[in-house]
Amino acid sequence: MLRSDHVTSAACVVFGICVFAMSTDLPTGAWSMPGAGLFPKLLGAFIIGFGFLLLIRARDSVPFADIDWKDLPHALRVAVITAVAIACYETGGFILTMALMMFAFLVGAERKNVFRAALYSAGVTVLTYFLFTVALKTPLEQGLLKF
Amino acid sequence: MNTIDSLLLGFHVAFQWDVLWYAFLGCVVGTLVGVLPGIGPLSGMSILLPATYGLDATKAVIMLAGIYYGSQYGGSTTSILMRIPGEASSVMTCIDGYAMAQKGRAGAALCIAAVGSWIAGTFGVVVLTVIAPPLANFALRFGPPEYVALLVLGLIFLAYMSSTSLPKTLLMASVGLLLGTIGIDNMTGHFRFSFDIPELGDGIGIVPVAVGLFGLGEILSTPAANVVGKVMTPKLRELLPTRKEWQESAMPITRGTVLGFLIGLTPGSAHIISSFLSYAVERRFSKHPEEFGHGAVAGVAGPESANNAASTGAFVPMLALGVPTGPITAVLIAALVVHGVQVGPQLVTEHPDVFWGFVASMYVGNLMLLALNLPLVGLFVNVLRIPYAYLYPLVIMFCIIGVYTVNNSIVDVWIMLIMGLLGYGLRKFGLDAAPLVLGLVISPTFEMSLRQSLIMSNGNWLIFFQRPIAIALFCACAFLLFLALLSVVRARKDWRAKLAEAEAGEPSS
Repeated sequence: MLRSDHVTSAACVVFGICVFAMSTDLPTGAWSMPGAGLFPKLLGAFIIGFGFLLLIRARDSVPFADIDWKDLPHALRVAVITAVAIACYETGGFILTMALMMFAFLVGAERKNVFRAALYSAGVTVLTYFLFTVALKTPLEQGLLKF
Repeated sequence: MNTIDSLLLGFHVAFQWDVLWYAFLGCVVGTLVGVLPGIGPLSGMSILLPATYGLDATKAVIMLAGIYYGSQYGGSTTSILMRIPGEASSVMTCIDGYAMAQKGRAGAALCIAAVGSWIAGTFGVVVLTVIAPPLANFALRFGPPEYVALLVLGLIFLAYMSSTSLPKTLLMASVGLLLGTIGIDNMTGHFRFSFDIPELGDGIGIVPVAVGLFGLGEILSTPAANVVGKVMTPKLRELLPTRKEWQESAMPITRGTVLGFLIGLTPGSAHIISSFLSYAVERRFSKHPEEFGHGAVAGVAGPESANNAASTGAFVPMLALGVPTGPITAVLIAALVVHGVQVGPQLVTEHPDVFWGFVASMYVGNLMLLALNLPLVGLFVNVLRIPYAYLYPLVIMFCIIGVYTVNNSIVDVWIMLIMGLLGYGLRKFGLDAAPLVLGLVISPTFEMSLRQSLIMSNGNWLIFFQRPIAIALFCACAFLLFLALLSVVRARKDWRAKLAEAEAGEPSS
């Protein structure tokens, strides 16, 4: 039966091999004068080694089919909304992007009342903006709209 | 300057109005962080780290430390009143704290937890005051091989104490060490794993990684519909325990304090482990072990004292050796480094105002927390009435602000999102993210010390076994590995396996 540690182990081996592949252009040097590639290659080897070690007691781990993915849709919604906000942050500026992001979380992900969500998003974002720019003297991104 | 003079200097710093204000702010935020489920001290500190950039090093570290030990106080509130651990170290308090609350003794449980935390925190600071300076003097004898040995011991100790398996912890630490190699190599100037992204030339910062793994990762795996709870608010007059309850809590507080401080000195999630061990010790020492799980006072007093003593104990290796024992002290080190203060044995001599101001502020901070957590408990509990669906978008906004303002870099925010998704995945596969953050923090020192050692010895690895301190540290590593191997061979469920169960929310009563 496929267990979670089997998957972790396989991922580690693949990741370790990728580390070696990406380190090929880095000089390993000699033991007496280690180069920039020595430490990453050592770590790549360790990752592969620990990946194989996981196999020893993999049968004690949770069956892969039993891992609870019920929260995945929520996680994906949050991740996508956050990603869009990050992509727009420098262009849209703090107030606009963050207010829209919060509104999207409340209405899109949590199905809250549109009017309340709009009020909460706008109010909290503006308050936070003044908290950082005025009280903490930390300028926030202004974006193309200059606010 | 002797210890008393130095401490007086510290109090002179700590009693300045603005320093007191930031200590107070840290304590309030820490208590809130502890009260709110889903936001741990690490994510709270990481999110607020950029807000400290406008402060000097002393105020910054005092505020962040206040968040840390404040969260230990606040964590007990939700455990006792709602059976929801505000953070992982309060898991054991849930069992008997909530049982006491069900019997109408919620106020007494909160009072015992707060007083026990105060005694433990103050004891921890007194011992820290005494032992940190001589330990720092001793650490001045450390060269690169000793640092390699110390860091290896730290990683192995972390792996041994971890509730997940040893290979899994070391695996995560290796990934963290690897992430720490991203950017320009300090010795040769080579770009490593930067994929032509100029922002990666300086490497990956601890803030996006910590905020992503712990802050965003927690939110991704907590759907709002799952966060429900009835809030119980005790009245002020119900807070005083009876004489019998005080008597029953005296020895557990004493034992929890000493045990917690000693465990706090070791790497790993000491504040979590100490509360679990303290609970086990109290049940063993109790004349009525059958009461545990049904509202035993010792089941609250011991673990709450232990987790506070451990959080203070964790500052000893950080301040004396410059070695983080976990991700939380790593964030504190990052805060000091950002302000140009190099943490290590030389901290006490080169920045006495920072060192002693920090130590003195903890005496003051513990008093503030006692005052905050008893009369104002009703106020803090009200925070739990904010629906989680409205709270988490706010936390994500703070995560974005926090990460972006460090370097004004959007790449850092993308890293945070990637780390958030990674954190979500790691939870699913039972992997602990804390060793990854620790590995990331120690990576530059580890690599530099390793390479310097090899250059010093002309490539001879025996250099690590030719110096007394390094030999002693490696012997300790071998001993720990032997113990870990022994438990595998015996295939017996030891205290670490039980800790894993408790952290997963299945505390055995």
